[in-house]
Parts: sequence; C-alpha cells; structure tokens
Amino acid sequence: MMPPSTARRLCFLSLLLLLLLLAAAASATADAAAAEEFTEELLLRPLPDRKALAHFHFRSSAPPASAAGRHHHLFPKAISQLVQKFHISELELSFTQGRWNYEQWGGYDPMSTNNAKPPGVELWAIFDLPLAEIDATWKNLTHTLSGLFCASINFLESSTAFSAPRWGFKLNEGNLRYGALPREAVCTENLTPWLKLLPCRDKAGIASLLYRPSVYKGYYHSQKLKLKSSQSLGIILDQTLTVVLQPNTVSGKQLHSTGGQLQPSWSMEHLFSKKLSGKCLVSKSSRVFVEIEKGIVDNVDKAGSDVSSNNDLFVLSTAPDRSLKELDNLEVQSSSLYEYDVNNYNSDKPLNVGITWKLPLIWSCTRAPYHASRFLMGSGNERGSIAMSFLSTGLDKQLVDSSNDCSIKAVVFQVVPWYVKVYYHSLEVFIDGNSKAISEVVDKIHVTPSEDKLLPGTMEMLLKFPCSMQLATLTLDFDKGFLHIDEYPPDANQGFDIPSALVSFPEFNSSRSYPEADPLFVSPLLENFKEDGVVKSYTEVLLVPLTTPDFSMPYNVITFTCTVLALYFGSLLNALRRRIGEEERGLKKAGILNKRGLIPLLIAKLRGQKVDPSESESTSPASLPRSKLLLKVVFVAVVAIVFHYLSNS
Amino acid sequence: MICRFNYRHMANTLSLYRTVKRLGIPDERIILMLADDMACNPRNNYPAQVFNNENHQLNLYGDNVEVDYRGYEVTVENFLRVLTGRHESAVPRSKRLLSDEGSHILLYMTGHGGDEFLKFQDNEELQSHDLADAVKQMKEKHRFKELLIMVDTCQAATLFSQLQSPGVLAIGSSMKGENSYSHHLDSDIGVSVVDRFTFHTLAFFEKLNMYSNASLNSLFNSYDPSMLLSTAYYRMDLYKRALNEVPVTNFFGSVMKTIHTDSAYTGFLAAHDAELPLSVGNNILDHVMLQNEASARRSNIEEMNVSFSKFCISFI
Repeated sequence: MMPPSTARRLCFLSLLLLLLLLAAAASATADAAAAEEFTEELLLRPLPDRKALAHFHFRSSAPPASAAGRHHHLFPKAISQLVQKFHISELELSFTQGRWNYEQWGGYDPMSTNNAKPPGVELWAIFDLPLAEIDATWKNLTHTLSGLFCASINFLESSTAFSAPRWGFKLNEGNLRYGALPREAVCTENLTPWLKLLPCRDKAGIASLLYRPSVYKGYYHSQKLKLKSSQSLGIILDQTLTVVLQPNTVSGKQLHSTGGQLQPSWSMEHLFSKKLSGKCLVSKSSRVFVEIEKGIVDNVDKAGSDVSSNNDLFVLSTAPDRSLKELDNLEVQSSSLYEYDVNNYNSDKPLNVGITWKLPLIWSCTRAPYHASRFLMGSGNERGSIAMSFLSTGLDKQLVDSSNDCSIKAVVFQVVPWYVKVYYHSLEVFIDGNSKAISEVVDKIHVTPSEDKLLPGTMEMLLKFPCSMQLATLTLDFDKGFLHIDEYPPDANQGFDIPSALVSFPEFNSSRSYPEADPLFVSPLLENFKEDGVVKSYTEVLLVPLTTPDFSMPYNVITFTCTVLALYFGSLLNALRRRIGEEERGLKKAGILNKRGLIPLLIAKLRGQKVDPSESESTSPASLPRSKLLLKVVFVAVVAIVFHYLSNS
Repeated sequence: MICRFNYRHMANTLSLYRTVKRLGIPDERIILMLADDMACNPRNNYPAQVFNNENHQLNLYGDNVEVDYRGYEVTVENFLRVLTGRHESAVPRSKRLLSDEGSHILLYMTGHGGDEFLKFQDNEELQSHDLADAVKQMKEKHRFKELLIMVDTCQAATLFSQLQSPGVLAIGSSMKGENSYSHHLDSDIGVSVVDRFTFHTLAFFEKLNMYSNASLNSLFNSYDPSMLLSTAYYRMDLYKRALNEVPVTNFFGSVMKTIHTDSAYTGFLAAHDAELPLSVGNNILDHVMLQNEASARRSNIEEMNVSFSKFCISFI
C-alpha cells in the first residue's frame, strides 16, 4: 500500500506527463498545418483567331524557415537556398518567345496582365537588404540564375543592363532592380530545369502534357517563375507556362451550312499529342479549367440558350465537374469556367478535355483602353527618334463621366541602353494630330539619364489623356553612340535592341472573381485572378542599327604596316649594302667578262665551263655610279624620316 | 547569329552529348557549349528538334538537355576559363569544370577550323598554342589525370600539334591540308545534318552499352579513310598507357566498379573509435585490426571515386 504523499506525487507526475504529451501533440499538429503544399492547374481557352491558349500553373509553398528548418520534401531546395542567400522578398523571372497579340487575345483580363511578357528574358527582384548592398547582390543573383536556368542571364550583371525604377514599374523604396534581355533565345534547355523544380517533374500530373515540339511550335510561349517570401508566410513559388497554339485539327477549315466558317474544334490531344492520365500524387489538388470568355457567353445568351457545357454553340467533350461563373461588379455574368478534377481520372480513363463548335461564331476579347505601340523614326546612323503611339480601342471608362475633366491615366516605363542617347528635353506630345504642351499631358516624369558605358537611361512618366482622344503620339530624339570594338557582339550588323516599354493604366483593374465553391480550399489560379492588378501592356522591342566599324581593319592595318616596314627595311638595306654591278666589275677586272651577253655567260657558268679571261674593259667612269648611289641613299633616308615623323605624331 | 552552316555542328555536339549521357555521365559532369540556337530557331521547321540523320528518327534535343554556355557566351575567353578553372567568384558551379587530379576528361570540339586554329563565333579564333597552354595549366593545377581531345573540323590534327603535357590523347578528323566533310544532306531541313567523323564515331558507340569494354584502340581503328574522305590522325606520344588496354567508357561513359562484400561497413566505426577509450583486455588487438581494415577500405573507396569521376566538355 503506497503512502498517500507518494501517490499524490505520482498523480502529479502523471498529470505533468499528460500535459507534456498534449503540448507535443498540439505542436505537431501545428507543424503539420504549416506543411509544404503543391498544387497544379491547367487553364484552356479558345481564342478568337482560331488558336487556343493553354496556361499551366504550379504553386509550391513552403512554411517559414523557422518552422521547417532546412528540410524540404516538396519545395525545391534550390529556390529556398536562393531566397535565403540573396534575401529576396519578391522575384519574377520570365522567358518568352513571341509577341502577345493584344488585339486578338485581349488586354483586359488577368491572363494578359500577368502572363503577357516581353520577348526574351525579363527579371526583376525586390531585396530585403540595405540599399548599398543591393547592386552586388543583384550581380550574384544573375549569375546564379544563369547557372540554374541555362540562360545568359549573367549579361544583366553590369550596371549598363539593369535599372532601378521608382514608381513606373512597381512602387518601391529603392530596393527593386529590373533588367531585360530582349534577344535571349528560349528553348528546351530553359524548360528542363524549370520542370525539375516541380515535385513530379514532367513525369506525372499536368506537366506530363508538355510535349516539347508542341510547346515550341506555338505562336507565343512564356514560362515564368514568381516567388514571394516573407517571414510570416514563408515562400510561395508560382511557376506558370502560357502557350498559344494552333490546334492541328483536320476539321479546321470546315464551312458550316450557314456559310460561316466554324472555329476549329480541338482537344488536349490535338494540342499536346497526349492525354492526361492522372494527377501528380503529391499534389494537394490538380484541376483543369476551360474558360469561356465573355464574348462567347454573350453570344450564347443571344442565341437563347443557357451557358452550360452543352449548348447550341459549343459542347465540351467531357462533362465538367463544376462550373464557375464570374460575377462582375454589376452582378452580370461575364466569363465562365468549367472545372475538371484530375483526381477522378487515371491511366485507364484518361482526361481529354476538348471543345466542339456547332455554329460559326466570331467574338472578341476585351482590350485595354489604349493600344500602345512603339516604333523608330529617322534614318542614318547618326540620329533617330523613338515614337510611342496610343490608339484608343473604344473601351469606355467605367466611371461614366461626360465632363471635360474625364481623363485616362497611363504610366509609361522605358529603359534605353546608353548607346542610344535620348534627349529627354525633345519630348513632344501630339494628341489627335495636334501638338500639345508637355505640361498639359505629362503629370509626373522621372528620368535617370544614361551615362556612357555606365548606366542605361530610365524614364517613368505619368500621362493624362482626355477620354475623347483617339490617337496620341509621343516622340523622343536620340543620337547613336559608338561602342568600343570589343563591345560589339559577333553579329553587330544586325543591330541592337531597346527592351520593351511597359504601359500600365492604373485606373483600370483587371481582376476577376469567381465564387468559391469550397471555402476551405482556394485555387491558386483563381486567387491570382482575384488579385488586384492594373491593366498592363508591353510594347514592341526596337531594333536600332548602330554604326559598326569595319571589323577587318585590325588585320588590314597589320598587313599594311608590315608591308611598308618590309619595303622600307628592304630598300634601306639594299641601298646600304648592295652594290649593283659589283660582280660584273669584279669579273671585268679579272678579265673574265667579255663581250658575250650576260645570259650566255650565266649559262656557261652553270654548265661549269671555264671562261677564258680576256681583255678587261674596265674603263667605265667610277664617279657617276657613286653619286647616283649617294642620291639613292639620301632619298631613302628622307622617306624613312618622314615615315617616322608621321607614325609618331 | 543565324548561320545555316552550323546545323551539323550542333547535331555533332548533341549526338555526342546524348551518347555520353546514355553511357552514364550525368548532366552535372557535362559542360555543353552551343554557339547558336538551332532547335528553337525560327528557320527550323521542326521546333525543339535537332536531327543527325535524314530519317528523323532520333530527336537529339530531347526533353532533358542542359546547355551551360550558349549564344554570345561561347567565347575563347570563357572556354579557356572553363579549362583552367579561373572564373569570377560569382560563376555558378554548373558552369565550372570541377575536376581533380583523378579525373578523366573528354573534350570534343567541332566547328570550322584550319591550320592551327578553330573558329569561334565568326570573329574569334582559338589557336593551337592557346589550347596547349591551357592544357599545360590544367596539368600544373592537377585538373586531370587523363584527357582525350576529339576535334572534328578541317585540318583538325593541327589543333593539337603544340600539346606537350603528359596524359593527353588527341584525335582529329583530318590532317593538315585535308578537309573534313559532312555526311549527308537532309533535303527536308535543307542543310547537312552530321559530319562524317562524328557519324562514324556514333556508329561505333551505338553498338555499345555501359558495360562494354571496347578499347580505344578499336575506336581509333574503326575510322576508315575511304569513308571519312580524310585521314583521322591521332596522337598518342603523350599518353603512357597502351590503347588496347583502355576501355572507351573511361572517357565516354561512367561506370562505377562495385565490389560485393559480405562484411559490414566499418568506416565510421574506425573514426568513432578514436574518441572511445580503448577497452581493456584482449579487445585491444581486435580494435586495432578493425581500425586498420576500415581505414584501408575507406582509402580504397576514395581512390575509386576519384579515378572514376568523368567529365566531358562538349563544345561547338
């Protein structure tokens, strides 16, 4: 029988143990709640010009470093090391080929705002460091990324290649750096390491659809890596790949009985030559969406049927699991999404989403308020002009304001390399053909002028256009600079690129919200759509031909100089040492030379015949050749002195 | 740079890259330098595909290619930096040749060349003296144990005429004064798709797998001058081993020799023992024996690891 005090102690100890266990269990669940997650999504959308858009979206998230330590089981370690080493708070790296066709594919929706990127490589990053260290960190970051993604991103390291915009690109306190390489090629070697960051690589799940020849045969492809890191939320990595493809269908050119041409009916197999045979097993969710734009929805409504997956205008090949309708702020239905959960499909029953059109249909995608484009003016290799035009697309400003104060704001951000020396004072604005004063149109302007071989020229402008305007043009004059011969690329005669300018419209919001069916789980793709994003568009890349030197000149100069030197030294030595006719005179003296010609004499010598000595005829005056000789020496010496003088001056 | 006559050089390099990967060398041990973008070039009718045969059966670009230096980065300076290891501190590991004194390196170069030079990017040349100097530096810095240089250009043998470092074996597709020719023209793509020397090299390797022990001698003797239309000349005066004893997988593949043993691995135990107090009595002798055995085995394994680390630099 235990004494009561021991029993009490035992009770107390067991209670303590129980408490400890509960605490451990609680912390374990708390840790489990903050685990790494991976989701994959695919969005398909038919485009008005008979093409199809496919948008792959992969999100990996890692909890804050303090909770998880250094071990990752889904999140790519390369990225977390990158974030920790370079103290990155936000980063976006995109590889793009092709130009986003704003007229046909839209400019007002979240897809074009977030995924229409300038051709080549674009990199921007916000660092969590004191301002003095950011440039050095940026340099190391570009090198690391070039090794990670097999691209020449290291060309962005020098200060002539990147800029630090203040408000034209994104609002920041000076810790943002932006750089773009317009001529960078994008190919399988950039996609390979990008796919290796995914937990299932390209072996399972939605990424297994990526048949490389299909992706690179598209009209536009852009792979993007975006990461956001914070102490509270950890690291969120979004990898997206946006491809615009021409589906290879046989029925493409069918004419309908009504006389119009049917849009091509396509399916995933037509786009990628493969079907989707299951999800990535470690993904939290795996979904495929088909987006039917507002233009099509309006047509369906007009035709009188309701917008379901099987209506008078089109039919989806597989019945969707769910359909989501977007509600704009007037509670009118705009676009709709049909959702498929890949969990329900496997290799026996693969998923092959497709759309078949029943009636010919023409629709258009909503565009940004102005179509911004940029071009070069002028000719010759000395000077030129950059012109930017804004063409109104007829989008009425939502705030119905018919007063004269109605204006549309546009922010322009442009980086110009140093060898295109822009004269910012020569900025001229023309609205509907009439020249306007700068102060009428330009609200705010911030210019970082270029410095030769040091800095590019950065320009950020806030413009205010009257709502009734049809066309606005801005022009800037520039002079073309000269590069050192070593700085020219191997194909210098092609020209040099001015990266795309970014035009954004801060009063227009491109977000779309879809009602969430499952409050516990939000699709990252739809979350991105819901984010506030201003309408943005990138202009074209400009190709500026610069004066190139004649690259063969170093070789020519060496050859020419060596020839002259050889001639000079040769002649000098000849003049000093060679005595012409000495041999003859010697032979004459010895009496060998007789009146026979020189050639028979040589032949006789060659034959080895003994030549009989005969009377010498050495009566030639000796003073004349000597004075001639002196004259020759003097002449050569004068030439030499002149040449020395010219080469030294 | 869009030059059509480079397609077959890309195909040469990629064919060898594929062969070397197939025989076991991983991407992290391969440095691939491609001077031009052929696969995703707008003029290529087959995007993301590079072929070395007009039957188009094999896509050399595949799904899994990693190019370390491409486009404007392929310069003589970068090439010599890779060989000698003299990079700026920011250069990432995937762009460095991380070899040591036990490494076997394969260096394959193809492109346009001539008497004692190889052309880079249409505006630079690599001279045979530069290459010999770089190899000499590599030897001084113990960056290789054996080096095989394969060159497929016109007058290829002149490129390694200045080499003097021991342990270097070199083979070129043609001798001084001879041209190297392309194999066949693909009328669909419109250009020649492979060179003769590389085509015959690949024909030799297609018959092999990772465990073959075909020797270098058989590779070098497989070149038939009447098929190549040039003389494949090789230089073995700096290489001490007999060519018929060296398997091709020494350079072109990566084979780890595994020794099956029934006993447990005591490598860590030996290191750990140093901290433990020696137990008394007749265990002392056992401990000492264990220690010796374990350390011997560990040094064997290290040696194996070092001598079988293969590197391949493939360049165009």
